[in-house]
Amino acid sequence: MADSGDLQLFRYPQSKSVDAVRWLHPVSAFDRFIATAVHDTDDASSAVEIHSLSFSPESRNPNKPLLHLRSNWPSPSRISALRTSETHQKHVVAAVSTFAGSVHFLFVDPVDVSIDLELSTDECHQPLHNGPVSAVDLQSGGHECVSVGEDGRVNLVSVGEGGLIAGIQRELRENNGISAYDEICEALAVEEASGGGGVGGPWAGRRRPGGAGEQLKACMYCSGRVDSHKPNLYDTFVVGGSSGTVFAWDLRWQQQPILLSGVSLSGTGRSTCESEIWEIQYDIHAQTSSISSTSSTKILPVMACSEDGILAVIEQGKPHTELLAEDCAINSFNIDPQNPADVVCALEWESIGILMRAKEAASPVY
Amino acid sequence: MPGRLMEPDGALIPFSTEVDVPLYNIQHGVKLPIFRIFVSWSRSNLLQVACIRPFEDDFNNEEDSGTSDGGDLGGKVVEVKLCASDPQISEAQRRRIAYGSVSPFAFLQGRKNALAMMSRMSSSSLGDWWQHVIEYSRSILELLENTNPPSRSVIEDPRIVLKLVNKPTGLKAAWQLMEMFYVDKHSLTWLPEQLVDWVAEYDCILSETEGTVHSKLFKLQEKLVNLQVIEDDPEYWEALSSALTVGWLDAVVKLLRLHGSYQLNQMDSRETENGLVEAVAVLVSTMPRLRHDLPAGKLGQCYKTKPDFIKAWEKWRGQITKLDCSAFWVHCGHRQTREGLRNLLQIMLGNMNNISNASFHWMELFVSHFLYIKPLTMSFEEMHRLAQKCLQLKSSSLSNGLTRLIVGALGENIEVVIAECSKSFGPWMITHALELLAADSNQNEILFSERYNLGGISIVELHRIVYAQVLFSHSLTSQIAPTYLASCPKQGLGLLEISLSRQPVQNYTLILKDLEICRLYELDKICSFVKKITGMHQWKHGRKGSGIYWFQKAGDESRLNQIAQQLFECIGCSNTNETFKQWEGLIELLGPDVGTAGGLGFLHRYRDFKNSLRHVQYGRATDAARHSVELLIQLLKSPSTPQRLWLSLLHDSVKLLNWKDRPLLNAAETNLLLSKLQELSMLQLLPDSPQLDLPPPELASIRLALATNLSRAFLEE
Repeated sequence: MADSGDLQLFRYPQSKSVDAVRWLHPVSAFDRFIATAVHDTDDASSAVEIHSLSFSPESRNPNKPLLHLRSNWPSPSRISALRTSETHQKHVVAAVSTFAGSVHFLFVDPVDVSIDLELSTDECHQPLHNGPVSAVDLQSGGHECVSVGEDGRVNLVSVGEGGLIAGIQRELRENNGISAYDEICEALAVEEASGGGGVGGPWAGRRRPGGAGEQLKACMYCSGRVDSHKPNLYDTFVVGGSSGTVFAWDLRWQQQPILLSGVSLSGTGRSTCESEIWEIQYDIHAQTSSISSTSSTKILPVMACSEDGILAVIEQGKPHTELLAEDCAINSFNIDPQNPADVVCALEWESIGILMRAKEAASPVY
Repeated sequence: MPGRLMEPDGALIPFSTEVDVPLYNIQHGVKLPIFRIFVSWSRSNLLQVACIRPFEDDFNNEEDSGTSDGGDLGGKVVEVKLCASDPQISEAQRRRIAYGSVSPFAFLQGRKNALAMMSRMSSSSLGDWWQHVIEYSRSILELLENTNPPSRSVIEDPRIVLKLVNKPTGLKAAWQLMEMFYVDKHSLTWLPEQLVDWVAEYDCILSETEGTVHSKLFKLQEKLVNLQVIEDDPEYWEALSSALTVGWLDAVVKLLRLHGSYQLNQMDSRETENGLVEAVAVLVSTMPRLRHDLPAGKLGQCYKTKPDFIKAWEKWRGQITKLDCSAFWVHCGHRQTREGLRNLLQIMLGNMNNISNASFHWMELFVSHFLYIKPLTMSFEEMHRLAQKCLQLKSSSLSNGLTRLIVGALGENIEVVIAECSKSFGPWMITHALELLAADSNQNEILFSERYNLGGISIVELHRIVYAQVLFSHSLTSQIAPTYLASCPKQGLGLLEISLSRQPVQNYTLILKDLEICRLYELDKICSFVKKITGMHQWKHGRKGSGIYWFQKAGDESRLNQIAQQLFECIGCSNTNETFKQWEGLIELLGPDVGTAGGLGFLHRYRDFKNSLRHVQYGRATDAARHSVELLIQLLKSPSTPQRLWLSLLHDSVKLLNWKDRPLLNAAETNLLLSKLQELSMLQLLPDSPQLDLPPPELASIRLALATNLSRAFLEE
């Protein structure tokens, strides 16, 4: 357990590789759930596991929350991405993509967090993706999900009211510009399609139903993830890439990405770390705790985790705040939307880490 | 390895059951007979066994094969996982230990390097190096601790004489031994008592098949709950004497206090007996010990200096002798108590027979010597001789890894210790334990000298390399292997390069992680090598775009040129819209810099032409059409445009030639087109020239269009 100032990290060894972590939207304010995508190398099995997080005053370290495995859904193939829905509408929904090219939807019982229903794109006639799915993203209502694969396809799957896959829109094309790139998406999708990148990236994600998926014309090689969901005050994407590059991309000034971290092509800029950025997200906590008189041009603070084990908050024009410097890579992280001070992360050495920051600011109301 | 012999019990290869080898059953599900078996290593500790049926047989049985389930298999490959050597530690736990030991190891290496730098400058000796190693050793020990200690109850049960803890691992026992013998300079003075403590902690794992003091006490404890008159049970007295032999004083005193004479209703009738029991209990709890300190709650009296200890020891023995000769024994009516207590006294007085009877394992007998027979510090040589003697006396105890380790250490035979560490405890143990051995600078010659028979590397490096290979064999641990290879001065980087270039390239994330390692260790060559391999992999699996992407990242000019050449050659073979779009994307991806030799330049122009032609189709803009014409002329003028494409270009131009508003091509341009057509027609006359793939009517329409355009151009001019 690392303990420095207001930060507390608790580690929970899992004995299997933790590929992705997400907070699940709870029904009541007293429950806290974490969904993890795990892969057991001993028997080559994969699963989504749902843990509950609770405090027990009787335990040896009363500050350390207890993590209990509550339910488990075996996945047919290794999981490449996991997303949970952010609003609670009758069921908690999680979307899972696999290396086998399928996308699955999990409906979780709100009371005992058992997995009620599972929908799979495998039930359709044709496989959704021909090859591994690189990423999925769930629209906030939980009814639509966009997926990108190494085959260069971008698909939109909608889930109907009755819990059926209502339709799959294959190979989305929004404009002529992108259709010209369709064939080369093949390469770019490998570059982590949700992040886009390379010479001219394909898709950044969907901001709203029916809205245009955005093409990322970043000239930097990037492979990290895009976070476009959080406070959509302006149409800004943040992108993490190789060599610690983090930049924001504003739709209104498409030609000029704003470099937040890393070395730009001209050789300027400061770097949080030098290695691969694995995941990136707007830091809601930093936003609420700092004065919210940000001008409209200012990029909101972002949190990023990297291969060299750094979890940091990056703010435009300010020195970075390093939250964690682990011995091993941090492969994934997620900020709790309900309690933005708490972050769950997946550590390379087969464990889940829970980072708790001091809650000096009042929790934001959603 | 062909196997055709069929044993009645289903074995394909005959083997003798007398030899003690582990057996694995393979569920191959292939219909017999099996014709051939191939065995090969897979990743990690997996064996791949391929069972193959004879071909003819398969053919003959074709009719009935459909009915039997799985009988129609021509063969099958099954993976067999060979068990780890130590069943006590699961694979996951082993990995956890591997992860946890990276930081202490890297930290120690860093310190060593820093000190070496400093000593080079100021020639200060590494006098207190062992203290750094102790720190390292302690953090590893913490790691080897079984993670979840059982919940402690608040109320202490007097009947619990043996605390039930998670069984410690052999790994930890061995580590502690190594620390004791080679690192802790303080402990050498107190070695005998340290060994007593060691036995107290690890007695339960000394022997699995035979009894130990621990198992004896454990059995008794289970019985205690239902036992009414405890002192009548011979096992009670046996357990007491055994516990005393190995110096578990608190357990002895606790057990003595359970004696029936302590019960209030019996006090009056058994007063003398109770007095004797209590006297022995007091003697036991005041036993003088020559040791550095005594942990809180432990019984005995601690003496730090020899003279003090000897004085106390003599006094204590005097008290025992006095009690032994006292007249009270006659008045003790309970036979078992009398005999049992006197046996305890004899053990404390160092009676060899009684001690030997009460102990089981040779280690127990060995440490009892330090407690009751010869408590003053002995030399290693004496200890070694004593250990040999104990081993002989307790010849029934099978020798296990720990035993051989202790004997090797006592015999000051470092080679035996190294061999034993590696054989019984695996590559993790030996790699990390060598740091402990190296704490003693006398051993550096053996550990760090480069050996011819090891290919010019030292023992330390050899074991690190072996361990790194073990780490590389598992996808989850391969990320930490470089730390160990980096500390191998001779062959470390070389092996790292080889291992990295052999890593699987299927998973994109893993590739990035490998590239990260390349960057960290400045292996630029391997970096581009990995990228090239990935590019080849993607290209071969039909993901052409990503193949090109990786080749570009690797800066692999020659392959990119080859690809450009391939594209160049396949253009014009088919002109459907789909293929056009496909190669158009690839050209876009290849970028303008590749194929400067001409091929790519042409490809780009050709793409532009095709594109503008499409615009012409949609709209009726004359400007766009004029632009297409310019591109067409450029293409036809360029020497890099292959001849076989001329015709298709001319075919495409018909639309432009027949432009309604005005002639788009002037006379000179039309003449150029005409001359190209003429050239093609002339080529047709040559022997073995390729046939034009355009039907004659089409050809005629091109001629007609050209002629019309020429006339219109003349008129215009």
